[in-house]
Amino acid sequence: MIHSVLKASRFQNPRREALVLTIAISGCVCRLAFSSMKEINCKVDSSSCTLAPNREPCITESLSVSGNGTTTSSMSVKSTPEIEKKFVHHVYDAIAPHFSATRFAKWPKVAAFLSSLPLGSLVLDAGCGNGKYLGLNQDCFFIGCDISPSLIKICSDREHEVLVADAVNLPYRTGFGDAAISIAVLHHLSTENRRRKAIEELVRVVKKGGRVLITVWAVEQEDSKLITKWTPLNEKYVDEWVGPGSPHTRAPSSSSLESIPESEVSTSGEHMEVCHEAHASRYLEEEKNIKNQQEYFVPWHLPYHRAEISGASAEALAAGLATKDDKKGAVVYNRYYHVFSEGELESLTTEINNAIIVDQFFDKSNWCIILEKTV
Amino acid sequence: MRLITHNMLSSNIKGVVNGFPLRIEAEKVVEKTVEMNGEFLKKMFEKIDWKAFVDASRAMGYTELPEEADSSMLDSDEFLNRFHHALLELHLEEGVLVCPETGRRFPVSKGIPNMLLHEDEV
Repeated sequence: MIHSVLKASRFQNPRREALVLTIAISGCVCRLAFSSMKEINCKVDSSSCTLAPNREPCITESLSVSGNGTTTSSMSVKSTPEIEKKFVHHVYDAIAPHFSATRFAKWPKVAAFLSSLPLGSLVLDAGCGNGKYLGLNQDCFFIGCDISPSLIKICSDREHEVLVADAVNLPYRTGFGDAAISIAVLHHLSTENRRRKAIEELVRVVKKGGRVLITVWAVEQEDSKLITKWTPLNEKYVDEWVGPGSPHTRAPSSSSLESIPESEVSTSGEHMEVCHEAHASRYLEEEKNIKNQQEYFVPWHLPYHRAEISGASAEALAAGLATKDDKKGAVVYNRYYHVFSEGELESLTTEINNAIIVDQFFDKSNWCIILEKTV
Repeated sequence: MRLITHNMLSSNIKGVVNGFPLRIEAEKVVEKTVEMNGEFLKKMFEKIDWKAFVDASRAMGYTELPEEADSSMLDSDEFLNRFHHALLELHLEEGVLVCPETGRRFPVSKGIPNMLLHEDEV
């Protein structure tokens, strides 16, 4: 076993400049000043200790060793539909550094929730992304998890306490946390059962009296122009892009106005009126369906200069999971979203009999809910 | 991965009844000194499964914790310092967490545990 000692001075985020690392390996001690822990790489054999600075640690597709010693990928989980694997997990792994660079502003309501927690609270962040909320309240201890190893690596490089895990299947003991948050995560889950299970898991892992904050994207976007940039999913998309057997989404009317067969021209005014009524009712139905639409692909434009950093974009383009937009100079990834309608988030909690809703609100085009565990 | 995290981690493989505590096989341990917060430690003491905590700290090469502990010991500065050190300053940088029931091995790489399950484990 290698045993290293790192001296720093912060509870959650140790200072990273001018730290001193002492490495004791079988009697030999190396002392080295360094700027950040990730720059140190130790290789040990019976005779020597090699310190290789500036070698970036890399977490790619996570592998785990099963009991019989064979190495298998743990990225695919049986309960995860293909649409999530391809259009959520794969995408966030590919865009992680660029995505992270755009994720720094803290939502005031989330900040207020975290700031209200008692001194010494243990806070669990499920779907923590780049960790922007981890450590927001210096008086609390945060543990974050996300299904994207690339995003978790970013958190770890920032000295956050994190692990790779699935929000639908949290690897935590029951009742351990004082509070939990899930910010902009549930809308990436493609079935109602999975969304409900994620909420149940958040409630399960907090103690009695513990609070859970959940936020999701809303159908009711304050900037209505935004939705026009999204691709509505219908059965055609799901079958062709994702494959049969995936969860079918709520589809807009499959017939467009242009495809409505015209009636034969008639001198009968009555017949013409019926024809106009048919057009009008189809049009209204179309409008209604657009309003009811909740399944979307939301584009992420990864600039070419960033896309070239890794081979992930080339693979995604080859596999048809991303497209090129030469005008914008970007590789375009589609992220799957189920946007929530008013009351939908609350309705998911009705079968959870060990928690009550203590607050619910609409904030920055998000539906938000705060639950308190009662048993 | 700190031992505070280890003490709340459990193997959630389908059918597993006793997924806690995960056994630590340590390959590389790092110590990072952080400020002590007495109130936080007292609060955490109530949550911690002490036996699992002691076993984990020993697996990480730290043997200064008593086999058993009760809340009266929190008045001792020496005990608090040891508790703080084991809970928050020891980091498993490289190693494996092993499910006590199935033997399934969850890797810890660059300080990050990967707790994702295989298709047949959900």
